[in-house]
Amino acid sequence: MALRRDLAGSRRETPEKADVERETLDVDVLVVGGGPAGLAAAYRLARLNEERGGEPLIVAVLEKARAAGAHMLSGAVLDPSALSELMPDWKSRGAPLDLPVRDDRIYFLTAGRALPFPITPPPLRNHGHYVISLNRLAKWLTEQVEAAGVDVFTGFAGTELLYEGDRVVGVRTGDRGIDRHGERKPAFEPGVDIRAKVTVLADGVRGNLTKTLIRRFSLDAGRSPQSYAIGIKELWDIDPQRLAAGSVIHTMGHPLRFEEFGGGFIYALPDGRLSVGFVAGLDYRDPLFDPHVAFQRFKRHPLVASLLAGGQMVRYGAKALPEGGWHALPRCHLDGALIVGDAAGFLNSMRLKGIHLAMRSGMHAADVAFRAVRENDVSAGRLSEYARLVEAGPIRRELYPVRNVHQSFAGGLLAGLLYSGMSLLTGGWWFRDPMPAHAGHERIRTVAKYFGGAAPPEPPSAPIDRELTFDRLTNVHYSGTRHDENQPSHLLVADTDICRTRCMEEYRNPCTRFCPANVYEIVDADAGEGKRLQINASNCVHCKTCDIMDPYQIIDWVPPEGGGGPSYEGM
Amino acid sequence: MKIAVCIKQVVTRDWPLRVAESATWVRDDDASFEMNEPDAYALEEALRLKELLGGEVVVCSAGPARVSQVIREALARGADRAIHVEGEALAAAEADAVAAALAGAMEGESFDLVLTGLQSDDQGFGQTGVVLAERLGLPHATIIMEVDVADDGGSLRVKRELESGWFQWVSMPLPALLTIQSGINQLRYATLRGIMAAKRKEILTVPAQSAETAGQRILELYVPEKSSATRFIDGSAPEAARELVRLLREEARVL
Repeated sequence: MALRRDLAGSRRETPEKADVERETLDVDVLVVGGGPAGLAAAYRLARLNEERGGEPLIVAVLEKARAAGAHMLSGAVLDPSALSELMPDWKSRGAPLDLPVRDDRIYFLTAGRALPFPITPPPLRNHGHYVISLNRLAKWLTEQVEAAGVDVFTGFAGTELLYEGDRVVGVRTGDRGIDRHGERKPAFEPGVDIRAKVTVLADGVRGNLTKTLIRRFSLDAGRSPQSYAIGIKELWDIDPQRLAAGSVIHTMGHPLRFEEFGGGFIYALPDGRLSVGFVAGLDYRDPLFDPHVAFQRFKRHPLVASLLAGGQMVRYGAKALPEGGWHALPRCHLDGALIVGDAAGFLNSMRLKGIHLAMRSGMHAADVAFRAVRENDVSAGRLSEYARLVEAGPIRRELYPVRNVHQSFAGGLLAGLLYSGMSLLTGGWWFRDPMPAHAGHERIRTVAKYFGGAAPPEPPSAPIDRELTFDRLTNVHYSGTRHDENQPSHLLVADTDICRTRCMEEYRNPCTRFCPANVYEIVDADAGEGKRLQINASNCVHCKTCDIMDPYQIIDWVPPEGGGGPSYEGM
Repeated sequence: MKIAVCIKQVVTRDWPLRVAESATWVRDDDASFEMNEPDAYALEEALRLKELLGGEVVVCSAGPARVSQVIREALARGADRAIHVEGEALAAAEADAVAAALAGAMEGESFDLVLTGLQSDDQGFGQTGVVLAERLGLPHATIIMEVDVADDGGSLRVKRELESGWFQWVSMPLPALLTIQSGINQLRYATLRGIMAAKRKEILTVPAQSAETAGQRILELYVPEKSSATRFIDGSAPEAARELVRLLREEARVL
């Protein structure tokens, strides 16, 4: 049985010393997270202030990245439906949607060949959509939000929720200027208590605040467990003649086996820039599976390698994404708080899209929060209108029919494809609905179990040539990741003894494989005492995979000092 | 005391750089930028002097529109207002051109003290401050590790960093210009209130005057060729050490 520890309630809290004078800031609505969901919520609130008149609501946005959009990572192909409703004049406001999708192709890859699908299945048709950089979209949205009168605070992480009884009343930002031993540095700056009537949690996939909230109030009771995937992506500069800008390619098959969920994507941006990425389900069984190696093997496939040959990798990033869909959505409204975007899991894994749903959820949350604050009732009952808007609107219309798609892939690629194809006709109906699902960390097998007690064969690998394929550390360099080295580790491992004893024996330390950034290393302990876990926290690209996939669930990802993390310019 | 701090926006340290097609500058269209490190220390020093003596801190920056990022950061940390000399060509301009652009906008302000970083993280000439002092007709001192303002506010004692762990104290009159060394103080964080207050602070944007004939221009920028060679030096330890020093000095030229 997997060992579970409840890590809710942060052990990182600095002991409250008498001399800490915390600033407080009072706002009406606090949005935590400057991604598409949070920014859409903030922009909508600013618009409502303008349209409805009266005393305007004070709205603020917290973003842990040091610059707007710097932690945004996606493919990305954007369905502009939500943006067009949020801001009908996005074109004249200079939205970075320059490149319509010109064609869609899907291939099934074998080790050496690429078999084109004769038709592109309807969910993957991208006519009317745009190939974008989510980093640029978020940067631009931040400008719009600020121009509309909202304060956007970049470089501040929300580290704790503030409560009055069971009502969420705001967020405390992280202390800054704490050294690696937990002592204050001369520039110590205590975190600020931002008190809000409604807190909109847009802290992204496996958000650190949403996570504690879901645990504290069992918001996922009666829901399917959330399942996740990890996406790894590089930007390349290649000869522009090779692939026309606006081309969209998706692949299935190699290097994954039928039992593993995932696939590759190639999106052609202008001027020979290519977005090349790979998504692997974080519900694999094989404890030796390595997403980073899978991505390298994907790039070595002739279809991809022929595009990239002679080109240059210019940027890298990795991020988890929620795949569980409709049945895995937690309750998203409670006293004083709403959960939006990836934090809740509004992503359509059949269409491989989440940005428009994230924005849509942010807009619904804004509508409800605005009315609730005006009516001076921010109880869960009042905020449950959010659930009704989700139910009655485009989010359910899109997610409900594909509610079992990700789960169906638990039976393997063929079962998944068969079900997905059928679901287009049946509206997602299945004998058991919801289709049973397991959290990814419960699906991963021990080495002994997976290989039936036999010695595992050498896992597949990819030679690293530093032209087409790269080691993890080189990749991390291209993510622009930076953290102040002299701060406590933001990856809390509850019991590192497990790493060098049980986990080494049972799973061979899968953290060294599923972490794409080489944060976890098993090194020799001092004086012949065997091995120990070393955590290279400053490499962390904030993808959250470790928090999700660790089989013992003893890794807790908490935000590092505000401003730390990757810098996904142009991603 | 009326203090000016000159800050430059540079590509973030350790950013994976690529040479632009022109081969005269790096590709900075999708780079990440930050405040030049020594300039951040100069700003901090100015804020401390203001806290001590009262007065005003004005940040001055020359560069394209994107420079507003570091200007806002400086205002959030506590500077009172800003002057932005805006010009696309200033992104990769030489020290003299930058100093000329700054001087044009700063002349009328009659600052008591002008602080700059000791050098920039990108071009690293270490000249902008010095040329600016010349153009503003101010005395200057470079590589400053400590600043003492006399009680009457009329003069300065400053500590300069020399080679090999030596320091030098210099007395000088005010107004003056100092180029500040990194590490002179502890940088503060921008606070939420600082960020909110920064929105209401004045940023005066003035267009850069058409550049005078450039005194110098970059002909070519290239990535150093990596070469690795291993050489074994024979002989007893003292002999080998002598030979190693000779090679490092005469062939590798790193000593």
